Amino acid sequence: MYAYTIRRVLIFIPMLIMLSIIVFGLAKAAPGDPFTGKILDPTVDPEVFEQQREALGLNDPIPVQYARWASAMATGDFGTSMYYKGKSVQSLIQERALNTIYLGLFSLAITILVAIPIGMYSARNPYSLLDYSATTFGFMGLAIPNFFFGLVAIYLLSIKLGWFPAQGTISGTEIGGWEEWKSRLHHMVLPGITLGLAGTASYMRYMRSEMLDVLKSDYIRTARAKGMGERNILYKQALRNAIIPIITLMGFEFGALLSGAIITEQVFNYPGIGTLFINSIMNRDYPVIMAITLLLGVAILIGNLLADIFYSLVDPRIRYD
Amino acid sequence: MLIREKKLWILLVLLLAFGLLLGACGKDKEEPDKSEDQTEKAEKETDEQEEAVEEQTGPTAGGTIVGAMYSAPAGMFNPIFYEEAYEANILSFTHEGLVAQNESLEFIPSLAKSWETNDDQTSITFTLEEGVTWHDGEPFTAEDVVFTYQAMSDPDYVKAGGIRTAYVHPLKGYEAYNAGETEDFEGVVADDDHTVTFHFEEPNINPLYYASFPIIPKHIFGDMTVVEMAEAPESLDAGKVIGTGPFQYTEAIEREQYVLTKHEAYWQGTPYLDKIVWRVIAQSVMTGLLESGEIDFIADPNGIAPADFESVQALDHITIIEQADFGYQLLGFKHHHRTTEDVESGELNPDNWVPNEKVSNPKVRQALAYAINREGLVDGLLYGRGQPIDSPIAVQFWAYDDEAAIHYDFDQEKAKDMLDELGYVDQDDDGFREDPDGEEWVLNMHYPTGNELREKSAPLIQQMLEEVGVKVNLHQPKEMTAYVEGLTDDNSDWDLYLLGWSLGSSDPDPTGLWGVDAPYNFSRWNNPESTELLKKALKAPEAFEQDFRKEVYAEWQHVFSEDLPALLLYAQNSLWAYHNKLQNVDPLPFTMYENSHLWWVKEE
Repeated sequence: MYAYTIRRVLIFIPMLIMLSIIVFGLAKAAPGDPFTGKILDPTVDPEVFEQQREALGLNDPIPVQYARWASAMATGDFGTSMYYKGKSVQSLIQERALNTIYLGLFSLAITILVAIPIGMYSARNPYSLLDYSATTFGFMGLAIPNFFFGLVAIYLLSIKLGWFPAQGTISGTEIGGWEEWKSRLHHMVLPGITLGLAGTASYMRYMRSEMLDVLKSDYIRTARAKGMGERNILYKQALRNAIIPIITLMGFEFGALLSGAIITEQVFNYPGIGTLFINSIMNRDYPVIMAITLLLGVAILIGNLLADIFYSLVDPRIRYD
Repeated sequence: MLIREKKLWILLVLLLAFGLLLGACGKDKEEPDKSEDQTEKAEKETDEQEEAVEEQTGPTAGGTIVGAMYSAPAGMFNPIFYEEAYEANILSFTHEGLVAQNESLEFIPSLAKSWETNDDQTSITFTLEEGVTWHDGEPFTAEDVVFTYQAMSDPDYVKAGGIRTAYVHPLKGYEAYNAGETEDFEGVVADDDHTVTFHFEEPNINPLYYASFPIIPKHIFGDMTVVEMAEAPESLDAGKVIGTGPFQYTEAIEREQYVLTKHEAYWQGTPYLDKIVWRVIAQSVMTGLLESGEIDFIADPNGIAPADFESVQALDHITIIEQADFGYQLLGFKHHHRTTEDVESGELNPDNWVPNEKVSNPKVRQALAYAINREGLVDGLLYGRGQPIDSPIAVQFWAYDDEAAIHYDFDQEKAKDMLDELGYVDQDDDGFREDPDGEEWVLNMHYPTGNELREKSAPLIQQMLEEVGVKVNLHQPKEMTAYVEGLTDDNSDWDLYLLGWSLGSSDPDPTGLWGVDAPYNFSRWNNPESTELLKKALKAPEAFEQDFRKEVYAEWQHVFSEDLPALLLYAQNSLWAYHNKLQNVDPLPFTMYENSHLWWVKEE
């Protein structure tokens, strides 16, 4: 197990190097640079931007620029943003990463708490009223675009009813203590539900069909025949097997969690990594693009690794050596 | 086993309870707001009667108002380094220059109370207001003015990220100081604590413009190099940024809220408002938040989208300010292309330019101009909140002359006749005109994304041109960063392009956009008459007289509209809105944020 984990982690390194080369190449191949989009100010002499390009080394050959970036990276220096002037990439990402992680965990929690119980219930009582309503809800959840659901939620629950705040992560600037957390959670409700909607719907469907399969299998029949309690069968025997595909999905979800949800973040003006990422691409803010890409790469690799490890925890038949 | 299950249940119950608690907290918090809203509306009805009473009671101190913007500032709050309109927004409350502009765009005293120029306008001496203090209580002096301009002339200023070199370029001795050849900065000199003189290399026709830049404090930045200055917390962080303005930038939640607190010792009197809070919101919910009273005003740099105008107008408690904007949208004609060598070396030499035969005849451009229904674009896309314009000088300027420019009123028959006459007729019956030599005549049109209305106008313009038989190849839109590269590196097949300019209010001189060797002259327009007029309008000493310049610009506007480097499509109105409880809003043609120290909130 440990050897397996270490081996997997070591494989990350060449993969990340490859990833960084590809992304760097692609980012540089895109037309424009951090200054081309800015030049539309008639009071500013474009010569100024040329000087800044020179100072930042953007006129050097791309391999030279990559080598410069990589050697700084190797010493743990992510560089300085070219768009958010005077800010280090690290501070930009830190500022937003927490928001993204809170929101991601919150929506994941909603997803799991809603999807798994309902999915299980549906499987236990297929074609019941609740099963049908859950199925309907599931398809609707998958069909409704995120941003639309978000806007409707803001209009109804925030502007009309005033239950939840519509924008941002926190109200007021009083920071610290219990008040801040209450405000943060309160602000997370709408974006959290919006973000978790599609996930909830699909996890519910997965859970239902997996559970139905498992409940029909031989060992469950054996367990029933042995007179094992229904609860025991459901939670101890069936759930463990039914949940494996969900774990696979969650492995990917871990990466998605860090990358943030660009659309949801925008609708709720919830400043997270997603918005930062898209802005940095638009502005050709190369150091930020590179840092976030690597972060996502690491997150997805770790997510998959964790999923593999969890397999062996829930299913003793799976062993790694 | 059972224990574990129990734990799970307890956890679930706890979570549920927590959720309910949250819901309850939310209600507690929002409900007073709601009832306030209702009383607001009720009181609205008795508003008229109250107004008379209120005038006697006069302004009261206190209160907080909330403004909205659609995008967060990049985070640079040092005037000499900021770049974006979102930061300018906040800086217009926190920092001040020696002079400001009034309603008719004349420069008026601000930190300087009077000034005098010498005979040939090579220098101007300002007498500064006394008793002005920075947010931290230090006195403002002439040394701060010198320091600001010196920092912008520093050899490392551009490398540190500064872009406002236009303000220091004409100063005396700038070249030498900027090249690092001398330590003496002669451009701006402090004569004593409250007198400062600007020296220019050449007679300057608009010295006040150059002296209008916001001043930064020497006692804060004095010991830093410019490179350090750009990364210093004093340039970036709430509470550390120091100016002389009526409000201080005191608190922030990055990307969400920016809080300005009143400057008690403000030299024009303590502001009435306690705080102005900027909130970053999504444009899609703006109308709703205005309605619910969560935001109190929305103005520069966004304002209301024309499509939302009616729904905002329907709100009783909101006042809308609508006025013409200084900028415009245009359909450019590429008069010339550059050679590949010039593009690679970045050279702008009109002698090397290659004429673009497809639109090089001015009559052809005029015919195309008649074919475009600009009124229709304004009505359809802007919901009437703007107007077609024919002169690239904004209507608010003294230099604007409506008579001088040729007006291209929509007339497709005229367009067809003109093209027929010029020999552009359909020879192979495909429905599109060929050029006089019988060759295929297809105009390549490009446009950027980023401005929804402009994006929508592109296919409409294509359709209008095709209605008069001109084949237009409309290319896929590009995002602005990529688009500008294509626009600049024009050794390509571009013929028509869409672009918008947002322009300042300081001087109408159009050389920066339409001068022959201006980099922003993306049409690569080379008209000797225009070149001569633009020079003449800036030539001392005649140009010291505004009337002289006005005449020259009238002539130039005629040349522009006749030769058409671009067809100006429309100028969109700026639409700003604020809650009626906010009193003393006194908008200028270019900003709503005038005299914000006099703003106050009427208690409801």
